[in-house]
Amino acid sequence: MNQQRRSWLLTPLSRPREVEDAARCGADVVVLDLVELVREEEKHAARLGVAAAIGTAQAAGAEAFVMIDPLLAYADLHACVWPGLAGVVIARAQTPSQVEEIAALLGELEGSRGILPGSLEIAAALETAAGNQAAYEIARASPRVRTLTLGRADLVMDLRPEPCGEIHLLPYLMQRLVIVAGAAGATPIGAWWRSPDRGLLATPQNTGAAARRGRAIGFKGAMCLRANQVDALNCAYARS
Amino acid sequence: MAKGRPVVRRSGLTMPVVTARFVDNAWRRGCDFVTLDLEDSVPQHLKAHARSLIKDAIPKIERGGAEPFARINHDYVEADLEAVIWPGLIRVKYPKTEHAEEVRRLDAIITRLERERGIRPGTVEIDPSIETALGVAHVYEIAAASRRVKEFGATTGGYDLSRDLGVEMFVDFDQFVYVKGEAELAARALGLGVRAAPFVANTTGSVSDGKRAFAQAEAARKCGLHLGGGGLNPAVVESHNAGYTPGEEDVRDARWVLEQYRRVIASGETWLEIENRVIDAYEAARARDTIEFAAACRERDRDKAEAVARTQAALALGA
Repeated sequence: MNQQRRSWLLTPLSRPREVEDAARCGADVVVLDLVELVREEEKHAARLGVAAAIGTAQAAGAEAFVMIDPLLAYADLHACVWPGLAGVVIARAQTPSQVEEIAALLGELEGSRGILPGSLEIAAALETAAGNQAAYEIARASPRVRTLTLGRADLVMDLRPEPCGEIHLLPYLMQRLVIVAGAAGATPIGAWWRSPDRGLLATPQNTGAAARRGRAIGFKGAMCLRANQVDALNCAYARS
Repeated sequence: MAKGRPVVRRSGLTMPVVTARFVDNAWRRGCDFVTLDLEDSVPQHLKAHARSLIKDAIPKIERGGAEPFARINHDYVEADLEAVIWPGLIRVKYPKTEHAEEVRRLDAIITRLERERGIRPGTVEIDPSIETALGVAHVYEIAAASRRVKEFGATTGGYDLSRDLGVEMFVDFDQFVYVKGEAELAARALGLGVRAAPFVANTTGSVSDGKRAFAQAEAARKCGLHLGGGGLNPAVVESHNAGYTPGEEDVRDARWVLEQYRRVIASGETWLEIENRVIDAYEAARARDTIEFAAACRERDRDKAEAVARTQAALALGA
């Protein structure tokens, strides 16, 4: 991997305007979301816009990933595997077999759509307890898995702030993820958030602080939800 | 306990079954559960006597509406289980669990005793305590070893763990991040009830400080945790009940969040920022949890109050 991937900005595929804004704000990676930020009834339409969105991200110099739902993997992957895609983020990755199935589908689609075999990457978002428990097996399930993140584990697992300001269980989960990623040859991404930050409301200043803490424990970049967080991540995760 | 209702186990006391005044007065304490102890609080020469007391102590605990639990000795599994598995007993706490095999052995013996004594199969839970390094190393296998393990965590093993590992007890930072994390991840991955203790400094070592107990329980509630680990001193029971129970303000706030979430749905967005807060499906789920648990607490408190009233009436008749 030659590219720097300091900042991964999530943007809903259902909003083409926001995709454009995301691509232009300097994010190293634009994560086109088909999962959380797109309402169920908008998903079909959102899938139709993936190819154009990949082009938009690339034109602005960003890499394009698509965040897919493993329970809808077939439809999501058919919609998103086009030349120019760098890889997929598996939301709520739970089991190694899920990863194997998605890797196999990626292989088929690479073949049928003229994409270099084996080139599409997987980033696994370990947002559930089961996914974290099986983190090492998930990371080893396919050579395509190059990135691990806790994603929105705090929300998915309902982890809330302790009186000391740390988010319950996250100090443990973050360090575990860094070790597992190192052992499996994957790159851990994330930032060390503390109360009262919450992804959607974090200020650029707090994002910078979370990223510097994250870098200090071994993360190599982080996801964010708003364009105004990108500079802080690019700065904190710059390679020295 | 009635089926289909969320378990409410906010407060509990562990007491030596050989101390009659503790057991006889347990119903007055307001506990959600009471653990009749055969282990650390019972001296060696009284173990046999202690075993003979459990069967009659169980209904005494029920007089206050609490769930009767028993803590057995790690090394006397057969004799202790023979003595504690009687109708009414809800849970066996097994100290210093180190291997899944130990839990499976308990399960087999309990299964036999339930059959022999006319207790519905699967009634008695197993609560494996993690109190040693070996236990921590096998934490997932232990939690997964029996369907009788319904809730799990490493909150009460602090003292023994600190002895086993040479970790200091009363410090002003979280010295058990890894141990607690391992146990909680196992519990969550297996879908068990999570018993976890957010870090609240206890630098004095007090076990009877009501304010501290409240702070600990409140911190757990604010982390979304419902299950208490109990205590040793009656002074902490009410603090634990109050700390774990959502307050009126929490319930009001939860209703507000659900109201706002309806607006989010109507707007066609997946989230909105309202009054400097994010309102989305996650916040709505938390709000629903708060409202449901508050209702369950109210119901549990009513059950306990009725049990206490019945006991008082019976005593008045007897007197």
